[in-house]
Amino acid sequence: MADFTIAHMYPHLMNLNGDRGNLLCLKKRLQWYGHQPHIYEVAVGSKLDYHNIDMIFMGSGSEREIKLIYQDLVSRGTDLKEAIENGLPMLFIDTAYQLLGQAYMDAGEKIIDGLGFFKFSTRRAKKRLTGNILLSSSVTGKECTVVGFENHYGCTYFEDENLQPFGRVVKGFGNNGEDGREGFFYKNLIGTCLHGPLLPKNPEIADFFIKAMVTRRGVALESELDDSIENFAREQVVKRKA
Amino acid sequence: MNHIRLILALLVGKTLIIISRLLGNQGSSFPGKMALRIYPGILSELAAQVKGKIIVVTGTNGKTTTSNMLASIITETGAALIHNQSGANMLSGITTAFIDKSSITGRKQFDCALLETDEANVPLLLREIDPGLLLITNFFSDQLDRFGELDTIINKIKDAVNNREIDLLLNADDPLTAHFQDLSSASRYYFGFAATSYDSYDSRENREGRHCVICGQELEYRRYHYASLGQFTCLGCGSHNPELDFTGHNLVMNPTIELMVDDLEINSPYQGFYNAYNVLAAAAAARMLDINKQHIQRAIANYQPQAGRMETFHINGIPAVLILVKNPAGLNQSITAVIQDQTYKNLFFALNDNAGDGRDISWIWDADMEIIEEEQNRIKHIVCSGLRSGDMALRVKYAGYPVDRLEIKTDLKEAIEHITQLECEKIYLLSTYSALFECRKILLELQKRTAKTPDRIPARG
Ligand SMILES: [Zn+2]
Repeated sequence: MADFTIAHMYPHLMNLNGDRGNLLCLKKRLQWYGHQPHIYEVAVGSKLDYHNIDMIFMGSGSEREIKLIYQDLVSRGTDLKEAIENGLPMLFIDTAYQLLGQAYMDAGEKIIDGLGFFKFSTRRAKKRLTGNILLSSSVTGKECTVVGFENHYGCTYFEDENLQPFGRVVKGFGNNGEDGREGFFYKNLIGTCLHGPLLPKNPEIADFFIKAMVTRRGVALESELDDSIENFAREQVVKRKA
Repeated sequence: MNHIRLILALLVGKTLIIISRLLGNQGSSFPGKMALRIYPGILSELAAQVKGKIIVVTGTNGKTTTSNMLASIITETGAALIHNQSGANMLSGITTAFIDKSSITGRKQFDCALLETDEANVPLLLREIDPGLLLITNFFSDQLDRFGELDTIINKIKDAVNNREIDLLLNADDPLTAHFQDLSSASRYYFGFAATSYDSYDSRENREGRHCVICGQELEYRRYHYASLGQFTCLGCGSHNPELDFTGHNLVMNPTIELMVDDLEINSPYQGFYNAYNVLAAAAAARMLDINKQHIQRAIANYQPQAGRMETFHINGIPAVLILVKNPAGLNQSITAVIQDQTYKNLFFALNDNAGDGRDISWIWDADMEIIEEEQNRIKHIVCSGLRSGDMALRVKYAGYPVDRLEIKTDLKEAIEHITQLECEKIYLLSTYSALFECRKILLELQKRTAKTPDRIPARG
């Protein structure tokens, strides 16, 4: 048994549409694998020691909430980028993902600078992109179906064609409803607009993070979990027409 | 010319109401929709025939129960009331309610109108009618996919009431009502609870409204009544709960509700803190309408829970309670009410994602289902059903409930029949909107069937 700590960025502010379900999922699965999970809540102004955490999770927020955390997030930029490059597992949902890019624009006019880590930027769509979404993703090294619910105004466009999406859209809108890409993937970081929430219904992705965490600590995953309910829930979404 | 269009619209509306009743539809919005198409001014013209007050009831949770309670109080006084059905609370549904009660000339007068509507619909409604009282039960994050962000809605309501002579009756325990504090002409009245023995000091519940709407700083709570409702102070600007005009105190839930509203003692057959808020809001509104105390007491005491609002059925002699859930705060409160009941129970969830439920079912993860794990000994079985039975089962699994007592049966009828066969002392059935009426039908049928053939014959000796 080993202890694992997940830093939850701005839990009371960046937490729309069931985002915290991702954290509940990681916590339980770590327990079921025989490990001890800890959640470290990072509020505006909190210290964050990257040597003592195994993963970072940040959910999405509305414009009001982004304003409240923006300066704090920007002040963590250098450390965060370094941690990404070091392969620290990270999951960023919706607006949190969009903040990793160059900018967030409203009809061509820049509203806020992103952290600028990667060459993509986000524009506001005329209409909310919302509905059940199906992806095909190979982040685990094996093609798998990912399901969720998307509900975003942001349309994200890659400015560098070498960037990797989290998945290819099978059904739904994805980053912008045009190029068939959804989310962003780099080392052990996934950015995505999938609520749903993402991890409980997609145990391969949950385990992608858990495997990355244990590997970094030189620990092995011994048991296998029974994912029949998880797979049933995913199939239900795949088959749902609406 | 307009008068002819009004009469034509009334005629068409009334005919469609008769037809839809024949087809078995109650609160339909279709007749009103057609009438508005024939004569867009129909709603404002009929509303002008209301001699007394027009009352609008809105808010995220409890608006249906509150407005139904208030309707029964007003009816108790003998007043002629126009009141729309909960399923038809947009402009068209409200228009239907007016057409239904109006005479064919549109000249019949009314004492009072009580209109329940969604928060997002308030600005539209206020363009057509001029209410004397707007009651807002609370604001919680609810179905963002349908409405857009909560702040935008509140600001639109605020714009709609600004510079109007209107009384606002607001929930003092809800920090988001602070949005209304700088209105120029509207008068504000507040209802809320004094300290109760059910309060908690740590809320893991709903996130919305935990920050000051004035300065954005985090609020410090001295106590939580339920969800983000409680006694709070802003550490940044010092803003805090406004002073109460109507105070709920001496609350007892055993499990039905007893409470005092100022010096008025009230009993209600309802259960749960959220319903205590509904009772308080209805009583406060009734006091603002100068309704006498006996009428309020009698109407609330006789007001029985409606379909899906804790309606109880008896199946094989076992009580089965049906509860409508539609958002995290409601789910939290329902689960808390279930847990507070000390019996050995079975729990049933029907989760759908049709348009009426909200397509996005992510909200089940915002509810604090984790208390199920702590109480797992008294919850004998959980059955999940509905179009998204898998998601519900996952939520229950990740809340820490043992999977060997957790089942998925997507078909509602099969699922309900199954859970009534598993041993327990009581069954709680939680359902989203679009599965509710089917659940109710199945339960009524089972109730009838098992009443005829009692299968529990006590053993002799
Ligand atoms: Zn403040």
